[in-house]
Amino acid sequence: MTIDPNFSLKDLIFMAQGAAITFALTIISGAIGTALGFLIGWARTSSSILVVALLGAFIDVIRSVPLIIQFILFNSFMAIADYPLDPFTSGIITLSVYISGYVAEVVKAGIESVPRITRLAARGLGLTYLQDFFYVVVPIGVRTVFPSWTGLMLGVMKDTSLIAVLGATPPELLRASQIVITRVQEPLLILIGAGCFYFFMCAVITKINMRVERSWNITGSTFK
Amino acid sequence: MIDIQDVHKSYGSLEVLKGVNLTVEKGEVICLIGASGSGKSTLLLCINALESIQSGKIYVDDIEVHAKSTNPNKLRQKLGIVFQQFNAFPHLTARENVGLAPRLVHSKSRAESDELACEQLSYVGLADKLNSYPAQLSGGQQQRLAIARALAMHPDYLLLDEVTSALDPELVGEVLDTLRKLSDSGMTMIAVTHEMSFAREVGDRVAFFHNGVIHEIGPARDLIDNPQEIRTKEFLGKIK
Repeated sequence: MTIDPNFSLKDLIFMAQGAAITFALTIISGAIGTALGFLIGWARTSSSILVVALLGAFIDVIRSVPLIIQFILFNSFMAIADYPLDPFTSGIITLSVYISGYVAEVVKAGIESVPRITRLAARGLGLTYLQDFFYVVVPIGVRTVFPSWTGLMLGVMKDTSLIAVLGATPPELLRASQIVITRVQEPLLILIGAGCFYFFMCAVITKINMRVERSWNITGSTFK
Repeated sequence: MIDIQDVHKSYGSLEVLKGVNLTVEKGEVICLIGASGSGKSTLLLCINALESIQSGKIYVDDIEVHAKSTNPNKLRQKLGIVFQQFNAFPHLTARENVGLAPRLVHSKSRAESDELACEQLSYVGLADKLNSYPAQLSGGQQQRLAIARALAMHPDYLLLDEVTSALDPELVGEVLDTLRKLSDSGMTMIAVTHEMSFAREVGDRVAFFHNGVIHEIGPARDLIDNPQEIRTKEFLGKIK
């Protein structure tokens, strides 16, 4: 069997499929990580010293250990514990937990950005803690930290490429590109192509988020 | 009636209230005056349970404010509070700002709360600002919005914490006019204020705070025009 050294439509489709996997990984782990990070960040503002310290330690570890090591460690640990997971499941769990550590800090910053006096005013009107939190604190905090969160999600998109260490197939965009490179021997061209895929997908997220932000601005809610 | 009995309040080792006694009758307007840091604002926060107290008792309509059995969220519906710092909810229009608590706390429908909001905003002279966001309002308008928001809960008492102190001088008048109107309508108010002319004119009684206690209290005109205590004289002398 001979190897065809030319870049074909099949290769492009292969890379597009990789891009789709990258995008899906980003959306799924981004969503789970954000939900989890929201809860952790919220808990971090609690008055329990124990909770704050434990979650602080968790976040420190998550943010200090390279993601690639976390992928391998978690995957190996599950295998040793006799609960082998398929690479995508294992990858998504690791990635979601990793993201949650970063999101938690953003959420905490958002909650703390709401002035004490605004919360006192809400409670003074008779709102309960939860009503104050969900109708006053969250809407104000989200607007404040939304750009940081968008930045995080763009980072996640590129972090998904590290899932390759688990040998997940079909491969995501970067791994797919590498596979094509090995055969076609045109690394520059193919990496430029891969870069374009990444750029396009990030642009989609940026565009959507900018639109969301603009809807807040149009309604005049830009804060002084 | 609000009855404050020997209330002590500390932040850490700093004792802010050192045995405050005060009774406020229905329909009365009491102005609290005194230097910054004398504990006036803290007392307001204690009255609606936004702050705890170390000892003493506060009763609002015979409900003990700091009793374990008292639901603070319920209690606060009787007590409107307006602060010095602007604190309108920045993500909501004036109408939504006023309608939020009636909708959440009194379970009013959106239509009902909208109507109530229009009513209250008209009362404070903001009928043309229903759909404006706080960032689009002047300081005086934001304070009137805060008053409307408190009134929409139909409180029995209004606690006012230096509501004109953060305002440019030319905006003070419109807010005081609103408060005057409220006092004429019989609203019970406890107002921390540095506006002596307002205290003299609208207040039934004036209480002078010094060192965490009420140092002197009396009918508004008498106390301001003719204070008995030396500390009160000093304070009023500095203000005038």
